[in-house]
Amino acid sequence: MKSHAAPAAHPVVESRLDRATLDEAALARLGELDPAGATGLVARVLKTYSLSLERLVDDFEQARAEGRHDVLRRVAHTLKSSSASVGATEFAALCVQVEAATHAPQTPESSALLDALLLESQRVARAVQARLATG
Amino acid sequence: MQSNADTAVIGLEVRPRVLLVDDDQVNLMLTAAALRERGFEVVEADSGERALELLEQRPTDVLVLDAVMPGRDGFEVCRTLRATEGLEHLPVLMLTGLDDNESINRAFEAGASDFFAKSQQWSLLAGRLHYLLRAARTRQELERSKAKLARAQDLARMGSFDWRSQGSGTGPGSFSLSPEGLRVFGLPNAALVSLRQLLRMVPGAERHGLMRILRDVMNTASVLTTDVPVTLRDGRSRIVHAEAEPEYNEHGQCVGYAGIVQDVTDRRIAEDRIRHLANFDALTGLPNRRQLIWRAERALDAARRIGHQVALLMIDVDRFKVINDTLGHAAGDDLLVEVARRLRSCVRHSDQVMEGALESIGSRSHRTLEAVGRLGGDEFVALLPEVGGEQDAERVADRMLESMRDPIFVGGQECFVTGSVGIALFPRDGASVADLLRNSDVAMYSVKSAGRNALALYTPHLSGRGREKLELESALHKAIERNELVLHYQPKIDVRSARMVGVEALMRWQRGGTLVPPGDFIPLAEETGLIIPLSEWALREAARQAKVWSLSFGFADSVAVNLPNRLFERSDLVEHIHQAVSTYGVPHRSIQLEITETGLMRDLQNVIPSLHRLNEIGVEISIDDFGTGYSSLAYLTTLPISEVKIDRSFVRDLGITPQSSAVVTAIIALARSLGLRVIAEGVENLRQMEVLHRLGCGVMQGFLFSRPIPPDDLETWLKTTVLPRRAPWIGQANALEVSENQRRLSPGAVA
Repeated sequence: MKSHAAPAAHPVVESRLDRATLDEAALARLGELDPAGATGLVARVLKTYSLSLERLVDDFEQARAEGRHDVLRRVAHTLKSSSASVGATEFAALCVQVEAATHAPQTPESSALLDALLLESQRVARAVQARLATG
Repeated sequence: MQSNADTAVIGLEVRPRVLLVDDDQVNLMLTAAALRERGFEVVEADSGERALELLEQRPTDVLVLDAVMPGRDGFEVCRTLRATEGLEHLPVLMLTGLDDNESINRAFEAGASDFFAKSQQWSLLAGRLHYLLRAARTRQELERSKAKLARAQDLARMGSFDWRSQGSGTGPGSFSLSPEGLRVFGLPNAALVSLRQLLRMVPGAERHGLMRILRDVMNTASVLTTDVPVTLRDGRSRIVHAEAEPEYNEHGQCVGYAGIVQDVTDRRIAEDRIRHLANFDALTGLPNRRQLIWRAERALDAARRIGHQVALLMIDVDRFKVINDTLGHAAGDDLLVEVARRLRSCVRHSDQVMEGALESIGSRSHRTLEAVGRLGGDEFVALLPEVGGEQDAERVADRMLESMRDPIFVGGQECFVTGSVGIALFPRDGASVADLLRNSDVAMYSVKSAGRNALALYTPHLSGRGREKLELESALHKAIERNELVLHYQPKIDVRSARMVGVEALMRWQRGGTLVPPGDFIPLAEETGLIIPLSEWALREAARQAKVWSLSFGFADSVAVNLPNRLFERSDLVEHIHQAVSTYGVPHRSIQLEITETGLMRDLQNVIPSLHRLNEIGVEISIDDFGTGYSSLAYLTTLPISEVKIDRSFVRDLGITPQSSAVVTAIIALARSLGLRVIAEGVENLRQMEVLHRLGCGVMQGFLFSRPIPPDDLETWLKTTVLPRRAPWIGQANALEVSENQRRLSPGAVA
């Protein structure tokens, strides 16, 4: 996983390098909604999440290129809560920051924050895939 | 997606139906799973558009709505359904981001019921939803009972209003009227109306009174309850009852009024109708006795206070009974209505009395009491609440008599009626209404006895006569039980054989030491209805006497009893006679009944059935005063009668005027052709007897033979006069008999 580390220049990302990408406690809470595992809820949720993550990250990159703050904000907003749900706590925190930043007057598209978000998204995507493969 | 169609039941409760809307698939899935696990039935929608579609398709108890969504976001969806009929009150829980204050505010502005910050705390979410559902149910119940109240108010033509004063000033505050209240005032639903506008619907005169009441009520912060006449915009007049209680703020200051308004027009109409029925005569529409006495009392109050005179006029239609009897009750009623109309036009008649103004000093409103009322039957009263003296009253009475003189067209013919008016003045002729009524009545009766169609003022001298009559009436009531009544008997004589062939019973009243002649009490008995028990007593007494005589001297003829025609109308007459003769064990033919020709003709159709039944059981009928009636004699052929009695007026003139013997001859011829017996009454001298006998009438009664005498004297009379053949008429009768036989034997005699 360390091979995917963010550039050292970014302190925000630096600090998270050692953390687990998906929070086990959050995943356990998900499991509680389907205690017997009868509906395969956790797997379905993770699958849905990875699909929407892929789609939303595409949207995010395109919006960044076009300078569309509203789309950036929406994507960050959507990813914020669903990421928290599946335990992608770090990623959710980045989404919160980006959503807040889109309200600011200066353009955030070139900022390192957006880079960090995209980088973290890749880590989360891989973690989810790994989880799905083992689950 | 899971099947949401099966509405599973937990215990007795139906699973609440949740529509969950979130554009984030992950959240949608998770939240749905969490809620399902907690007993909700969840339908998922991933956009606002989809949510609105689903809301139209399926019943939903609560909507969980993500605030921020692409396309139609949660705020817009919320606003849309708040404007949609049936969804205005759907509970909506808006899902917002944590600390997203802006969304929270916008959620409420859009009409959300509550908000929930997105989190994984599913139990909190479920708890929030349960709370929302309970609030919605409470609200629904409230709405339902509000609707019920509205319906009940609507049915009762009732609505509520609320008025808030503006600060402490007296200016118009805020005023609101419920839709039902608007309807009471005939205003369209949702109309905006101010208190001022409502007050303008009250007619001017009443508005001032109402304003005064409102001011008084508000100044004292007391309860308002009043009835107000209003004119609606369409011109209809209604009466609105308003009732309100003051409302106070936390400092105990009155800040306004809350209450109801109700259309009480129908109730008031009914009340007025009842009041009218209680106070006005149904036939003529004039004030009745009760109303008139009330007015008279108010008039006397005013007269005592101000010091003027009041006149009471008692008006009676002359011979109304005859009109009623001959033309029928319907025509009689029509006549009374017309008389009422004419009398009314002779005074300043007011139907309504300005009651409130009566007490005020210096006011002349007692004049509104002036009226003509109907006491009952053909008796009317005029109340003149202020007269200068008797001349004023006499002038009105004259006008009334004059007004009655024009013929009145009723029952298909013109009737000429007259009236008698008696006048009594306050304070001269009485200090109370009762005194004035009695004394005007006495004055009116004095007119009647003096020949009618005039007016008279009351004088104390008249009162004596009136009182006498009253005393007579009450004494007559007791006469039967005190055995003061007796029958005297006058024999009927067959002059040819010089024998008694029957008697006529005549009633006498042994009152104290004097014997009251029938002319002095029979009319009174007729008037008061006492004639019925009197006649019944006479029948019993006649039967008893027949038995006594049959035992003492073998009396086997009949006792004739005079009956008024109204007794013939009674269905129990036959039964009554049957009982009388049975009690004393005498045959039915012991009783003969006499009815006057005029009495018979007055009510022929009602009397005939009785006559037939009496005839069947052997009771003979004699027509009294025959020849005095004006009607055709042809009816005689159809009647079951046995005897006609030639009226004494014809007998009196026999041998004096040729007309009288012509009438008698005609009666006798008629009776013969019909096979009826003829008897002459009032025979007082031998000349009359001779003529009657010559004309072919052999049976007679009169002073010539005997006055009516007490029963015990009859036997003596027979023993001393008839049997010894001593009386002068017996000699004459014998002579007549002889000449009659000679006449019959002569060849030229007519058979």
